[in-house]
Amino acid sequence: MYPAIIEEYLAPATVADALAAIAKHDGEATVFAGGMSVMQAIKARLIEARCVIDLGNIAELRGVSVGPDGAAIGPMTRYADLVRDKKLHGAYQALNDAASTVGDRQVRNRGTIGGSLCWNYIAACMPPTVLALDARIELTAPGGGKRTVPIGEFFLGALETVRRDEELMTKITLPAAKGKAGSSYKKWSTQVDGLPIIGVAVYIETDGSGVCTVARFAVGGILPIVKRSAAAEGQLVGTKASDADGIARATAAAAEELDPQGDRWVQAAYRKLLIQSLGGEVVAKAFERATGGAA
Amino acid sequence: MNKDVKISINGVAYEKSVPLRMLLVDFIRDEAGLTGTHIGCTYEGRCGTCTVQMDGEAVKSCMLLAVQADGREIATVEGLASNGRLHPLQEAFNEHHALQCGFCTPGILMNTEEFLKENPDPSEAEIRRSLVGNICRCTGYDHIIDAIQTAAKRLRQA
Repeated sequence: MYPAIIEEYLAPATVADALAAIAKHDGEATVFAGGMSVMQAIKARLIEARCVIDLGNIAELRGVSVGPDGAAIGPMTRYADLVRDKKLHGAYQALNDAASTVGDRQVRNRGTIGGSLCWNYIAACMPPTVLALDARIELTAPGGGKRTVPIGEFFLGALETVRRDEELMTKITLPAAKGKAGSSYKKWSTQVDGLPIIGVAVYIETDGSGVCTVARFAVGGILPIVKRSAAAEGQLVGTKASDADGIARATAAAAEELDPQGDRWVQAAYRKLLIQSLGGEVVAKAFERATGGAA
Repeated sequence: MNKDVKISINGVAYEKSVPLRMLLVDFIRDEAGLTGTHIGCTYEGRCGTCTVQMDGEAVKSCMLLAVQADGREIATVEGLASNGRLHPLQEAFNEHHALQCGFCTPGILMNTEEFLKENPDPSEAEIRRSLVGNICRCTGYDHIIDAIQTAAKRLRQA
């Protein structure tokens, strides 16, 4: 595994310069975010990277801000930064959970949320997490034209998204919680912090008495792409943290509706079991974060 | 296709013209001649023995192009000891017999040196999780855990 010849390497300092470089190469350049997935593909010669455009020097693409209108996350924010960011606690805490279990320390020091979303690996941790958080993705084209895509329309299939080759992901926004909100993510892998067989992210909003008013239940590790379970979400609305039977019915509904596949590692029935088991844990944790442990 | 780079390793600046496709680990080993940083998995990013620190953060040097380190500060295992005195982690690895063949040790040291700054008093479980990216095929990790706990204690008291 070693990269083939690379003819040009550019490390622009601004989004405008990066977009101009991408346009100049007719969208044929290979763009590096953290590079943890794309470098493997280059070394394995799955990608021919004749020109590399490295986004690592673009400060304006990094950082997290949380305010009354919700959260804004720069796509070049690294996992290591997300892990430590207490501003995300509560409503967006699934991001802390997910970032803390990606790969290993060395990968978390380089890998980015935007890189993971644009790569859209089938079992990655970020896609189900931002799906549960109902993110909106800002894409900017050369010339500065922007469009915003709801996360539910962003992922097309394995390793495919609606981002065009000449576009850059420039912002990830998360809506503000209307009630008390909490979220959580958990995965199960064959080895610690490995790629998940199943990963479940849940977002819960509650009213003053701890009753769920909004629920989003997203699952990664299923074919063809990460999905939400409308059946589980419908069952969760109206439940409380103490309603074990209601929560169990919701996670069973998710396993049924999402109908996961078997493969050479695990049977379909095992993925169903994981959706229910992990789903129960993350729903409980999301309730706890929403209500501060009350109810 | 070459580019002129200036990469500082353990405080020494190396100015070279390197092929764009050269991986950072090869720059460290072949251009700077610092062979303490190892290659255990033919650049697959799996074994962690090529772990160095870039601007103080642990990274696998087979996962970066050398040109990505242009203008950056790299720290390798050769820079851990100072004034003829081993780093507390190195002393503890020696005392606890935390290495057998020693091939993985440089990467583990460079990862753990940063880890202990982030978490000076880690539990055994936290230490084990911090080592997910570093494979050791000799020790079974137990002595490595003991050594890291001892070093953490001494670093806290220092």
